[in-house]
Amino acid sequence: MNSLWWLALPIQLLPIWWHRKKRVQVKAEPLASARFLPRTEPRQMRVWRWADVVLMTVRCLLLACLIAWLADPVLPWRGNTVVVAQGSDAAWVEAQVAQAGFKDAARLPLAAGEALAWIRAHEREWKPDARLLVLGDIPMPASLPQFVHPLALRTLARPAMPAEVHVLINSARAGEWRRMFAALDGPLRVVVDDLPGAKTELIVWDQPEAPPSALRAPLWWVADTTAFPELAKAPAAAGMRYADSPRGRLWTSPAWPPANPDAARRLLETWRSLHYAPLAYTAPAHSFSASTVPASVHANGALRGFLMLALAALFALERILTHARRR
Amino acid sequence: MASVSSALIAHTTNLDLVIRHVLAGLGQGIHAGRERGSGVEFSEYRAYAPGDEWRRVDWKLLARADRYYVREAERDSHVALWLVLDASASMGEPSRSIPGLDKLAYARTLLACVAAIAQRQGDAFGLVVLCGGRVQFTPAARGPRQLQRVLAKLNAAQAEGALPDAAALKSGLRFTAAPSLVFAASDFLDFPSPLSDALLRLRHMRHDVRLACLQTEAECTGGFAAGPAYRDPEHEGGVFRFGADLREGYLRNREAHFGAMTAACRAGDLPLVDARIEQAPGEVLRQWLRPSSYGAGRR
Repeated sequence: MNSLWWLALPIQLLPIWWHRKKRVQVKAEPLASARFLPRTEPRQMRVWRWADVVLMTVRCLLLACLIAWLADPVLPWRGNTVVVAQGSDAAWVEAQVAQAGFKDAARLPLAAGEALAWIRAHEREWKPDARLLVLGDIPMPASLPQFVHPLALRTLARPAMPAEVHVLINSARAGEWRRMFAALDGPLRVVVDDLPGAKTELIVWDQPEAPPSALRAPLWWVADTTAFPELAKAPAAAGMRYADSPRGRLWTSPAWPPANPDAARRLLETWRSLHYAPLAYTAPAHSFSASTVPASVHANGALRGFLMLALAALFALERILTHARRR
Repeated sequence: MASVSSALIAHTTNLDLVIRHVLAGLGQGIHAGRERGSGVEFSEYRAYAPGDEWRRVDWKLLARADRYYVREAERDSHVALWLVLDASASMGEPSRSIPGLDKLAYARTLLACVAAIAQRQGDAFGLVVLCGGRVQFTPAARGPRQLQRVLAKLNAAQAEGALPDAAALKSGLRFTAAPSLVFAASDFLDFPSPLSDALLRLRHMRHDVRLACLQTEAECTGGFAAGPAYRDPEHEGGVFRFGADLREGYLRNREAHFGAMTAACRAGDLPLVDARIEQAPGEVLRQWLRPSSYGAGRR
């Protein structure tokens, strides 16, 4: 949409027209026998006044600059580039770069999850003959992307980083709960705390007395609903009932703590799928050939700062020249 | 003579050169010189001055005195010759067909030729330049130096200002003693004017007054460009327009003006030569110098 502003460029004809229109002068040649001719009104002639051409140029530049600022042009300035997903193995990256012949290419570190989308959005920044190499643990996109530039994607699956989850257990049956959390596999690692803290993400409340009013957590597993009246008429789903309270989200089930491994696995799986993002699947290596799909119009405002400076300078210059002309 | 066109005037500012060419075309016998050479009756010796003819140098005296002397003869010509040049701004009117030629240059050439002829004949001649409301007066004298002086004055004249008023002309034209020939070159766009009155007055005082009325081809035929606006160089205010539709009226006005002027000249016994500055100057000069059917008729 921004590039539609370029259609406003003919507005530059206005200062040119004004500078032409304003200047009139009377020109008369001497003629000795003019007395035999009828008198007439002095004719106004439109002539170009070259004395003001500097001012006119400045005004045209000012308008062009303003339109460019609005249109926010993207200049192709990137050459061959190696896009490295953040957190990639440096030795592996070097080996891949050497193998693909991208020794002299610029490095561009990007977050792994957004790398392909970012490249697609900023594709007009690359010169037409540029090639790209994307390295790292790039998640597989839902559909096959298309790029204007040839792009080689080489991936190396990174072992999932274990994420610590702080859990507070307040229960007479704490041993059962602990056993259940200890059986959890996958990237989530449960740390059972004795005292509530800012990092506490799950509170297991298995006691009839009410929790302190200041205690907050994103999720509560309530085995004894005596202190939680909001769970009385809560909707049920997946074998348990849930409700939202000022303390956080509440889950409850009469069958807690889970009695068998299947029930425990189901509860943990539900918890992980609802509260934690799924692990990305690393895309397979792929070579994207250049497609003819037009690059998406994405304005990044890279030139806006410079254009704004130029705009200010030209405006000041225009004012000065106008003032000087009037004097 | 036809070889000397007015384009020559446009090409050079050297009046000497132009005179030589124009007069060479005129040949001998235009004027009936009363004297041959420099007179018959010896009058006096005079120191040689640059420009004197070598044949007039007395060689015997040179051998005796080791100095150059020129024999001056007693002249029986008492005719003084007056050149009147109108150098008002309207005389700057250029020829629309020959670039670089204007009325003033043409008038300058005609008067310079007359001066050269007078000098050859041994007549005294003087110059009156009317320019910028003033009268520049050069007293009459004889000889080659006077010719150079007059040519220099002619060359220095610039077309500017208006004609002088009657009082200035009256005090300026004060050569009334001897019978004289008056050659006046002007465009006579102002008529009657203080100049025409002064010339008529001179004619009434039995001087032989000859007028040359200079015009351009474009003025005579109304051949001006229709595009630009025009202004009168001598009168402020007002812009004038020319076009094909106005040509008829222009020619009628002009005819009326010059008809009245010609009639006034005829009534005042002033011979008038109508000259277009695109004409060859020799032809005009021949007409101008032709002995008039009336008046003193000394030439």
